Amino acid sequence: MTNHQPVNIVMIEDDEGHARLIEKNIRRAGISNRIHHFTDGTTALDYLYQSPEGPAQNGPALILLDLNLPDMSGIDILARIKAEGSPLKRTPVVVLTTTDDKVEIQRCYDLGCNVYITKPVNYESFADAIRQLGLFLSVIQVPDIGDAD
Amino acid sequence: MPQTEQTQSRFTRRVMALVAIGFLALIAAGVATAWLQARSQQMGNWVEHTLGVQARLADFASANERVETARRGVLLGGGTDFRKRMDLAAGEARAALDDIARVTADNPRQARRARALRDLLVRQRELQLRSISTTDARRSAAQGAFEDDPAVIVTRQVRDLSRSMIAEERKLLAVRQVEQANALATFYAILALTGVLLVIVAAITLTVMLRYTRDLTASRIELRRLNQGLEAMVDARTAELQRANQEIQRFAYIVSHDLRSPLVNVMGFTAELDAARKTVSAHLDAVEASSPELVAEAVRLAVREDLPEAIGFIRTSTQKMDRLINAILRLSREGRRNLMVESVDLDALVQSIVDSLQHRVSDVGAEILAEALPALTSDRLAVEQILSNLIENALKYLNPGRPGVITVRGHNEGDRVVLEVADNGRGVDPRDHERIFDLFRRSGAQDQPGEGIGLAHVRALAYRLGGLIEIRSELDRGATFRLSLPRVLKPGGE
Repeated sequence: MTNHQPVNIVMIEDDEGHARLIEKNIRRAGISNRIHHFTDGTTALDYLYQSPEGPAQNGPALILLDLNLPDMSGIDILARIKAEGSPLKRTPVVVLTTTDDKVEIQRCYDLGCNVYITKPVNYESFADAIRQLGLFLSVIQVPDIGDAD
Repeated sequence: MPQTEQTQSRFTRRVMALVAIGFLALIAAGVATAWLQARSQQMGNWVEHTLGVQARLADFASANERVETARRGVLLGGGTDFRKRMDLAAGEARAALDDIARVTADNPRQARRARALRDLLVRQRELQLRSISTTDARRSAAQGAFEDDPAVIVTRQVRDLSRSMIAEERKLLAVRQVEQANALATFYAILALTGVLLVIVAAITLTVMLRYTRDLTASRIELRRLNQGLEAMVDARTAELQRANQEIQRFAYIVSHDLRSPLVNVMGFTAELDAARKTVSAHLDAVEASSPELVAEAVRLAVREDLPEAIGFIRTSTQKMDRLINAILRLSREGRRNLMVESVDLDALVQSIVDSLQHRVSDVGAEILAEALPALTSDRLAVEQILSNLIENALKYLNPGRPGVITVRGHNEGDRVVLEVADNGRGVDPRDHERIFDLFRRSGAQDQPGEGIGLAHVRALAYRLGGLIEIRSELDRGATFRLSLPRVLKPGGE
């Protein structure tokens, strides 16, 4: 984590249960960063780009993204974040979804996703994966938004 | 179409009948012509014959007249010149009469007349000779009595008779000429009739054939149209089927994914619940240790037994559901995979499957016999999955009472390759032969782990490879799975 500003975790996940489980396990990994949770794509994008507290305006962030959202596909959000000229281009995106289709995975990496994790149905594996993600988050360096461009 | 066949045979019969009539008419015309020709020839001969007889009669008549003239010359005192001339003419008349007698032998009336003529001629000759040998004294008398001269009378009779013969011949000639003309007319009539018949037959035949050809062309066009329609229909149906199939695959994919999501929650929160239960249980232990009177029996039962039991059931059920969802997902994914058609070395493929199963094979004390297998061009992965599923199945359902023997064999059948996996295991009840290929359905004693997916998967793969799979088996008699695949899978053919 950067020393001058805490990294916000933006979680875009339509399933409340999954969100709760993810949050629980991240906390268990010892991550105490603030987690902003959104259950649909529209409000999430609004927060990312428009909110004065959002990462586009204010400070580094890390995005946890589910692909199956009610109002749009997570792929669209990913494409928008990683598009040329986007202020969030360098913001790390972790795709965390149930889909393990090879084509889908390839597409996400092509679009610039940084990590792709399939949610294991088996809870022990799931908890394990999220905890490891937490550990990963504790060592990962996130660029300041000011560094962008 | 029987109606068309009927029409066809009727048409053939009609044409054959017409052609036969045409030929018969031709033959009749030929025969009639030949007959008429012969007849007309005959008529011509007769006419010629009559003309000859007439000429001879004329000769005879003129010779006769000359005899008479010469005789008169002799009587009038002419020299031996007249006498010679008379003899000559008489000879000619006799010769002519002989000819006439000969050629009129066929006509009894003329023959009679000819005979009469001959008699008259003999008598005339006699009288003439007598008249010229009489004395010169009587000659003058004879000269004066021409009217009474018997020779003259006989000569007149001869003249009359020969004239009547000429008349007879003329009559015959007229009759024969009429007959000849009639024959010719008949000939022309028959010829004309035959010609008309031929024209009619030709016209009818042509009409029938034209109509038939027109019908044929029409039906060919109709057939082509139907054919094209059929192709279009087959294409449409195939596209529809493919769409439906894709729809089902897509549906299976989405459903299984969407089912997974809640399952994550069920399992996750069950785990959380279990964790919470453990906390409560630990607390309960502590309370029980310090002051057991505070712990109610119901609470202890709930924490120690009911909760773990409920959590256990939730877990096993969700795990099973997870496996089922994964199976559907795998099937749908397999259905969407692009087939890679290549030459498959079946022997090596079976050997690698056997090698990978070697551990289990020796565990259950079975053996796998792989015979030489035919060449195959297909999707390697799919064939491998089918065979490995079948062999694994055979290994799984052996009869524990006897050492297991699993045989993999194959042969060519036309343009297909038949592969068989036979075992001497517990077999499958014939009632279940269809059922075992259904998803999540199993047969026999449920003493082996499994979800009833393997054979459903095998059948789906076999269908995708354009193949068929069937089982021949009886309970406790082993089972033989028979897989029939096209020897060369057409790329893109689904």
